[in-house]
Amino acid sequence: MTQSTAVHGEKISLLRVLGPGHVWALGVGIVLVGEYMGWNFAVGKGGMIAALIACWVAGLLYTCVAMIDSEVTSTVAAAGGQYAQAKHIVGPLMAFNVGLYLVFAYTMLEAANAITLGYLVQTVGTMAGFSDVHDKPFIVLTIIFLAWLNYRGVYATLTVNLVLTAIAFIAILILFAAVKPWSNELLDHKALLNGLPYGWLGVIASLHFGLWYYLGIEGTCQAAEEVRSPARSLPLGTMTGIMTLLIAATMTWYVCSGLMPWEYLGQAVTPLFDAARLTNSMPLMVLLFVGTVFSTLASANGCINDASRAWFSMGRDRYLPIWFGAVHPTNRTPYRSIVFLVPVALVFAYFAPLDQVITFSILSGLLGYTYMSFNVILFRRKWPLGTIKRGYIHPFHPLPAIVLLVLCSVTYFAVFLGYGTQLVAMLVFFMVASLWFHFHRYQYVRRGDQFTMQWPRPQGY
Amino acid sequence: MNSFQLLEYGAWALSALLGLWMLFDMIKTNKAYDEDLLTSSKEGEIDDTLVIDPTHQGGHQ
Amino acid sequence: MANSHYEPPKQSTFGQLIDSLFLLVLVLGALFTPLYLKLAGGGKVDLAVADKTTWAGLGQNAVQQAQWEKLGFTPDTAASMITSRFDYSFNVAELAVTAIVIVGYFALLFIFSRSEYREVIEERFGKR
Repeated sequence: MTQSTAVHGEKISLLRVLGPGHVWALGVGIVLVGEYMGWNFAVGKGGMIAALIACWVAGLLYTCVAMIDSEVTSTVAAAGGQYAQAKHIVGPLMAFNVGLYLVFAYTMLEAANAITLGYLVQTVGTMAGFSDVHDKPFIVLTIIFLAWLNYRGVYATLTVNLVLTAIAFIAILILFAAVKPWSNELLDHKALLNGLPYGWLGVIASLHFGLWYYLGIEGTCQAAEEVRSPARSLPLGTMTGIMTLLIAATMTWYVCSGLMPWEYLGQAVTPLFDAARLTNSMPLMVLLFVGTVFSTLASANGCINDASRAWFSMGRDRYLPIWFGAVHPTNRTPYRSIVFLVPVALVFAYFAPLDQVITFSILSGLLGYTYMSFNVILFRRKWPLGTIKRGYIHPFHPLPAIVLLVLCSVTYFAVFLGYGTQLVAMLVFFMVASLWFHFHRYQYVRRGDQFTMQWPRPQGY
Repeated sequence: MNSFQLLEYGAWALSALLGLWMLFDMIKTNKAYDEDLLTSSKEGEIDDTLVIDPTHQGGHQ
Repeated sequence: MANSHYEPPKQSTFGQLIDSLFLLVLVLGALFTPLYLKLAGGGKVDLAVADKTTWAGLGQNAVQQAQWEKLGFTPDTAASMITSRFDYSFNVAELAVTAIVIVGYFALLFIFSRSEYREVIEERFGKR
């Protein structure tokens, strides 16, 4: 008989089992897929040179994000990540919005991954000579299988991620070595590079998809309640993650831009796999096929993990119905949140086109980064250095925050060029949701209980 | 009917199976445990000793 | 006013369901409305080229042509990809409206958050 009642003092919580390797795998695992697909839309928006500039500018933006995030999260160790940070530092409505950004960014990214995986299986099926092959069954299977894995437990989920991510990263390294970057045998940048087809406006426009090289690295924070020593592991995993990505992004650009006409690259669904096809090497093709599959799986897997943690945290604080704040007694996972987000991901993966899905994901991320720059300034103001213990202190404050805010503003403009309608639709959505939260939903929230950190009273309040 | 279609049906079947598994387990868990216990996790509890796993509590009351 | 503790009402299961559904509908609405109104995606224009039926006419050099062919394209199938361009012309009024919406949104967030935050701090740390 499993019947059980809540005895006084008896609690179920998430399981604290992860190490820094898992944090790296969660961060890089979500993002690495960005090198396998999606980043190349930046080429379409501004040309190849523009995509490289965007890659490095976005790299700077994310270095700021990683530094800021590492400092704040080394003190706010909670499953909600940036959501819990916002709750303690800015206020409830901001936190509600940040929670939604997280859920959106990750669920949309998950849908994008499933679409890519389905497309890849379809391509391979067609290449193998089958007619009438569909991608839908594999899209659905990806989402449901990974949700099931997440449902069953976090340790197995992220260990799987570690293996998948490592293989996908090594595949990029091998491809880079195999195209002999020191010779012109396979690569021909001279004949393929095309300058700036849209001029400098194209460089700014391409920043939109330039974010995709790194989007999601900040997801490491969602593991805070499941990591063994958060104050050390989270900054370590995040910073090594961003370095891994900078290397992988530059290599990916170099290989692809030397192999494909930019018009093709700018619209390709699986650019690295196509690069392998163009080398005429069967082993490389198989390797990059495996790499693409693994990276999409690892990413979708991490996304389910992060989105459900954020949704769960909001349920626990009653920002959302308390029902979502439940933990599975044996699997120790936020099981109801995981199940609830499955149909949402399915709907988007099934019905929406890839670049739209990616744009929604990027926009949610972008709103989150904008918040971070304000967040860290308020954090330092309300709790100056020395008033609370920080696991990591980022240098040159407030320069990273200002750089981040400037780059975010430029990126809004980049999204506006070409996707202005979605930008406004998205903001209208968040405004309606905010009003709903402030005037309706907030009545169910316990005021003082939301502040869970053992910090002194913030200065100025 | 070719072998790729077989693969597609396999994918649909496996999706349905895993989906139903999760759904069934969720309903079972919701019924088997008290709602207050399921939602008893609190943010910011760093201390592992507070955590008691009901299935592995080893006589601890 | 020593007792400023706020005790929230307990939400019924039905109310919880309604709130969940409301959010779900809102999310789907935000994402699919632009798609259904065909407002999504950048404006695209077709680039004028000399001849859509040959690689040279599409402005592709020998290396580019070789790679297109390796990827399984002919000038006919590749033409629409090659000639498609984003339309980055925009009017300043649209840009201004978008900028105001973004700034207004963040202003709304910070103003409401601030008043809610004061309440949280007062209940957690007591009134000053």
